[in-house]
Amino acid sequence: MGGVEDEEPALKRTKLLSKGLNSLSNGSSSVERVVGSSSELMARPLSSEGDNEVVGSKGIIKKGEFVRIITKALYSLGYKKTGENLEEESGIPLNSSVVNVFMQQVLDGDWEESVSTLNKIGLEDERIVRAASFLILEQKFFELLDGDKVMDALKTLRTEITELCVDSARIRELSSCLLSPSDQCGSSGRDFIRAKTRLKLLEELQKLIPPTVMIPENRLEHLVEQALILQRDACSFHNSLDKEMSLYSDHHCGKTQIPSRTLQILDAHDDEVWFVQFSHDGKYLATASNDRTAIIWEVDTNDGLSMKHKLSGHQKSVSSVSWSPNGQELLTCGVEEAVRRWDVSTGKCLQVYEKNGSGLISCAWFPCGKYILSGLSDKSICMWELDGKEVESWKGQKTLKISDLEITGDGEHILSICKENAILLFNKETKVERFIEEDQTITSFSLSKDSRFLLVNLLNQEIHLWNIEGDLKLVGKYKSHRRSRFVIRSCFGGLKQSFIASGSEDSQVYIWHRSSGDLVDALPGHSGAVNCVSWNPANPHMLASASDDRTVRIWGLKCLDAKYPNAYSNGNSHHCNCGGT
Amino acid sequence: MISLVSPRFLQQLHRTNRHTHRFMGRLFVINLEGKIYSCRYCRTHLALYEDIVSKTFHSRHGKAYLFNKVVNVSLGETEERPMMTGLHTVADIFCVGCGSIVGWKYEIAHEKDQKYKEGKSVLERSVEML
Repeated sequence: MGGVEDEEPALKRTKLLSKGLNSLSNGSSSVERVVGSSSELMARPLSSEGDNEVVGSKGIIKKGEFVRIITKALYSLGYKKTGENLEEESGIPLNSSVVNVFMQQVLDGDWEESVSTLNKIGLEDERIVRAASFLILEQKFFELLDGDKVMDALKTLRTEITELCVDSARIRELSSCLLSPSDQCGSSGRDFIRAKTRLKLLEELQKLIPPTVMIPENRLEHLVEQALILQRDACSFHNSLDKEMSLYSDHHCGKTQIPSRTLQILDAHDDEVWFVQFSHDGKYLATASNDRTAIIWEVDTNDGLSMKHKLSGHQKSVSSVSWSPNGQELLTCGVEEAVRRWDVSTGKCLQVYEKNGSGLISCAWFPCGKYILSGLSDKSICMWELDGKEVESWKGQKTLKISDLEITGDGEHILSICKENAILLFNKETKVERFIEEDQTITSFSLSKDSRFLLVNLLNQEIHLWNIEGDLKLVGKYKSHRRSRFVIRSCFGGLKQSFIASGSEDSQVYIWHRSSGDLVDALPGHSGAVNCVSWNPANPHMLASASDDRTVRIWGLKCLDAKYPNAYSNGNSHHCNCGGT
Repeated sequence: MISLVSPRFLQQLHRTNRHTHRFMGRLFVINLEGKIYSCRYCRTHLALYEDIVSKTFHSRHGKAYLFNKVVNVSLGETEERPMMTGLHTVADIFCVGCGSIVGWKYEIAHEKDQKYKEGKSVLERSVEML
């Protein structure tokens, strides 16, 4: 347990600092000042303890506040003795004595006394005093009811609570409790009637009362978490788990957590590989090629891939695939031809979807797994049951010949490129249409795992990130890769999908940090344009890329010992057991 | 800059294209609707009749049209070129389908009365109307 050790050094440091500060300040000791004014504390909140004493190199931390939140943290960790010692040694009490009395009275159930002490604390806002009194008296009311002292509860409600003139709706609710306390005790009513614990009441009071008077719970922990989160968000290469973050040094991953080394080259296609995608559970990879086949690969326990099935049957190049939600079936689309549904374990073709007069150009699986969707060359979109029965067809300019097709995770919105520079978001139930409009031609797009963001590839070599929840908003741009003739695809990936990866016509795989837009790496290796990339959703350290050089490359971490990321997450110690298996 | 005047050269080009691939990668092509001008060799759509600005241009191969907008072309290197109408900064444009040169794009015109050409493209006689 790192907890105990951490607090002690912090205490010592504060003590030393305060000694140092005392000698620097103009003679008058801060301890004196606090003790001197403690008699005034009965009537005033502790907002001026420690006065202008500061700690830390930037001079922005008030010493009094710092000590008080440490004291509070010590108490909540259970170190009562140490907490008391700190209060005594620093001369900075956690709470003014009047607040301590108040808190004790609440815990003891001395309701009238606690309300009168509340008024003595010296809160400036009358409304807070009334709201807090209301909470206390409500607690009294419920405790009386629980103890079956109905007449007393009624008296409290009539006289004390109503007097406060706060929240008449609640007062009515309370009176209805009086009338039928046992009837309302259904399974959920039980909680409503029983008074909450006094500790819980204290917590709620703490939230009402200003933090300078009563320090909120877990304030120190909250501040530390804020710092850690800021560090993590600032870390462009962050691709390791949060529980690896340490307090001892600022968090900074090196690029060691980003896949950058070719682990495997999959060479089984006879022609350009145009599409690649991992299954939702990361156990399989599907590749689609100009050689008119698709291949299902299996990821083994050592992260190696082996060919499971070669799916032949299409008469045209296979341009895309779509995994079923349960990962047991795969859809493949032959360009302007047909869509085929395959069984992953046997490799057999279960169904062919076609339409007379129109070729199919895209395919997508409904999240419920019962229907499939396809775009057609006549610009319409068709929906089929798995057995091939057509259930719906949306005509009009819904899709383009070169367009992708996606469905959001709630099964409600269908996305496709409907015009040169616009993507249609079509709500299939309400028929409401929304459009993402760009000022450049759109070549492809990719939906995030949580269906909240859309990555759009443009003709002019830019990739745009759109927020599609609520109002459509452009939130990010990524540049550097090359595109002039082909459909080049990009995808989300890495831990929490914090990275963007893309193919490029210069044969490299490009990786950007999603929130900053900074280019993290460009990976050479392929000898032809990289058409598509897919990041393993179950393994943030595995990336697959499909290229015109007929191969698919699997990328992983430079160092083999990828299973122990905490060796890297502290930045300073790059211990790399590269000699091992 | 590839000159595609000689028919023998064209024959050679087609032969090579059949062995290696005509299209590398999954070509991104925009499909136009209306009266379409397309690449003579591979029929990739290039421009619409309604986008013609002027029919009175000339390239060394003969007549050429100036278009407001062309699609499915990739740009070559920009260079300064002295033309009959003065010095211009242009870039050759190539069909994305087969790579043949189909014309050029005006990036900068150095004479004031030629400024109207900026951003527009010329398609040479190697295109035909579908």
